Amino acid sequence: MVKVTIDGIEIEIPKGTTVIQAAEQAGIEIPRYCYHPGLSIVGVCRICLVEIERMPKLQVACYTPATEGMVVHTNTEQVLEARQAVMEFLLVNHPLDCPVCDQAGECWLQNFYMQHALHDSRMFENKVKKSKALQIGPNVMLDSERCILCSRCVRFCDEISKSNELGIFNRGDRAELQPYPGTELDNDYSGNTIDICPVGALTDRDFRFRTRVWYLSETESICPGCSTGCNINVHHNDQRTYKAGGSRVSRLKPRYNPDVNEWWMCDAGRYGFTHVDADSRILAPTRSIGEEQEMSWGEAASEIMTKLREVISVHGKESVGVILSPQMTNEDLFVARRFFRDGLGLKHIDFEVAPLTTGAKDDFLIKADKNPNTAGARLLGVGARQGSGMTVAEMLEAARKRKLRALYICHHDLANGFAVDVVEEALTAQDLVVFQGPNTNSTSALAHYVLPAAAFVEKTGSFTNYAERVQMIHTAVTPLGESKADWQIFRSLAKEAAISVPYFEAEDVFQALTAEVEAFSGLPYAGLAGQGIALRDGQALPESETVVA
Amino acid sequence: MSKVAFSQESLSEFERIVAQYPERRAAMLPTLYLAEKEFGHISPEVEVYVGELLQVPAIKVREVLTFYTLFASKPRGKLHFQVCRGISCDLRGCTKIIEHLQEKLNLNSEETSADLAYTLSEVECLGACETAPMMQLNDDYHGDLTTETVDLILDEKK
Repeated sequence: MVKVTIDGIEIEIPKGTTVIQAAEQAGIEIPRYCYHPGLSIVGVCRICLVEIERMPKLQVACYTPATEGMVVHTNTEQVLEARQAVMEFLLVNHPLDCPVCDQAGECWLQNFYMQHALHDSRMFENKVKKSKALQIGPNVMLDSERCILCSRCVRFCDEISKSNELGIFNRGDRAELQPYPGTELDNDYSGNTIDICPVGALTDRDFRFRTRVWYLSETESICPGCSTGCNINVHHNDQRTYKAGGSRVSRLKPRYNPDVNEWWMCDAGRYGFTHVDADSRILAPTRSIGEEQEMSWGEAASEIMTKLREVISVHGKESVGVILSPQMTNEDLFVARRFFRDGLGLKHIDFEVAPLTTGAKDDFLIKADKNPNTAGARLLGVGARQGSGMTVAEMLEAARKRKLRALYICHHDLANGFAVDVVEEALTAQDLVVFQGPNTNSTSALAHYVLPAAAFVEKTGSFTNYAERVQMIHTAVTPLGESKADWQIFRSLAKEAAISVPYFEAEDVFQALTAEVEAFSGLPYAGLAGQGIALRDGQALPESETVVA
Repeated sequence: MSKVAFSQESLSEFERIVAQYPERRAAMLPTLYLAEKEFGHISPEVEVYVGELLQVPAIKVREVLTFYTLFASKPRGKLHFQVCRGISCDLRGCTKIIEHLQEKLNLNSEETSADLAYTLSEVECLGACETAPMMQLNDDYHGDLTTETVDLILDEKK
C-alpha cells in the first residue's frame, strides 16, 4: 500500500494504482476521454493532466502510477489552463453539429466544455471535412468529423472482441478512424464501441434519431437473452413514446458488474428487446374456441379453472401437463410450483425444451442456453429431470395419444424444439390448451385460451444465471394492455381454485421462496439489487449438456 | 496465405532485422522499407504479407503505413524523380526544371507513367541547397541542374 495526497485528501491505495484510479477512490473525478478501466492505457487524449509536486511538467493521471508520498493537485490554475488548451485542440475541427447529433446530452465534449473549457473559438481557418454518416457495420454509424481519436473503439476491437476491425489511418488533422478497407465493424460485441465512444463519432443505428437521451429514464435490469444474465440498464421513454413509433423501450445498455459482464454485453442481447413493443404482444385474455373473443381476467380465470377441474375430475391429475419456461423469474416459477404442484397436485411439470438448432456461444459472454433462468428453474425443481413427471417431449407424445387431455404452456414456442406437425397433432388432440406469454407464436395460435404475460421490462423479480448468481430485474414500464406478471396470473387462477397464494408483491414471493427452497435459503432480498448474489460464491458451473430453447 | 512473398535474399534480410528487436512488431518500419524495395510499393497484399511476417493484423500495418507519408502505397515508376521545391531551389529556378521534366516525361507532377517507367514528384527541401536547383533520382542526388543536365541524366538512365 502507498499513501498519496490528492487535492488535500490523503488516501491509501495498493501499489500500482494509477493517479486517476486513486483520485476516483478519493471521490475526485478527473476528466478523461481515452482512459477506460476495461481497456489498455494509451494516454493519447491528454485531458486528464494533473499537477504532481516535484515533477517539472503536468502528468497524465491515467498512466502515472501513484507512488508513496505523492502529492497531486487536480484543480490548480495550471491544470485548468492545460485542460482548456486540450479542449480547444479537440474542438478545432469539431463540426459542432450537436443539434443533429445523437450523443448530445451524454457527450463528454459537451460536458467537459461546460465544466472545464468555456473558451471562445480563436479559429479562423476552415474546418477539415471528413466522412459523415458512414455505415461501418450492421449496428454502428461513424461520423469522422466528431471523432477525437481517443482509440477506445480500436482498443476494444483489439483487446475485448479480438476482431481487429478498426484502425486510425493517416496522421495529423487528416487522421481518421476507419474499418480495414473491404471489411465491416461486424462482431458479436460491436455495440459496445458505441457505449465507450465518449463523443458522437460512433452512434447506434438502432437508436439513431429515435429520441433525445434526456427524455430517457433508466431502470436496472438483467438481459434475458441468455443464461449469462448480463447486468443492464433499460433506457425507456416514458413521456414521448409517440415520437418513437409507440415503442417505450429505447435501448439497453450494459451495467458494470465485475463478476458477470464487466462493462460489456453482446449485440444479440442489446438489440433483442424489440418483442417488448412488438405488434405480436398479447394485450388481453382471449378465448380462441370458435370465434376469438377477449375476456376479462375474472372470466378467463373462472372459465379456465372450470375446464381444468373438469379434465382432472374425469381423467385424473395425470392427464394434465404443465410446460413452464426458463424465461420466467424465480418468483413466477415458485408460484407456479405452489399452484400446479402443491395446490392442484399435478405431476407432469417441466420447463426444458431443447432447441432444434443449438444456440450460438463463445468463451466470453454468449451462452448457448438462450434463457435467463434455467438454473433457477432447476433449483426450484420444476423440471421433469428434477421430479418424476414427463418431459415436454413425453408430454407431447402422451398428448397425441390422448393420455394427456390438457396442456398449460408458458412462453414457449414449441416449434423451436419440435417439428411443427408433432406440436400440432399433440395440441389439437387436447380438451384444453392454455397459452400464457407476452407474445403470440405458433403455439399460442393452437391454444384455446391465451393469457397475456408481462414482458421482462414490465415486472420485478429475479433470475438465476448459469453460475447460480441471483440477480434482479425491475419494472421499467407498466405492463402493456391487460398483461401481468406470470406469478400474478397463477395467483388469479389459484384464487378460483381456492388455493392460497398469499403474495402481493414480488418481494413477498421471494421471501416465501427463500423460506421454502433450500438452495435459496437465507438470501436477503435487499442484497439482490445492484450486483446480485452468487449462491455458491461465484463458482462458475460447467454449462449443462442439455440446451434449452 | 498472402499472394506475395519475399525473395530468399529479402527474407534472410528480414530475419536479420527482426532479430534486432525484442518484439517482432517493433520491426515494422524496416520491414516496410524492405517490402517497398522488393515490391516497389506497399499494396494491400503486401500489407497482409507484412502483417503475417510480424504476426500482427494487417490493419496495424496499414495504420503505420498511412501515418508516414514517404511510403508508397500506389505503384511507383522505376525512375522516381523527386524535384526539390525548397526556397533555395525555387530561387534558383526549380520551376523550370519541373516544367522541363513534365514535358520530357509527359507527366504531371505526382503522376506515374502508365508503363511504370517514371514517377515525378515535387518534394520539400532535401537539404542540399548548395547545389540548388537539385533533385533526388531514386537514391541519388543530382545538383546544379539545368535543362541540359536533366537531358543528359535522362539519356543516361533510359
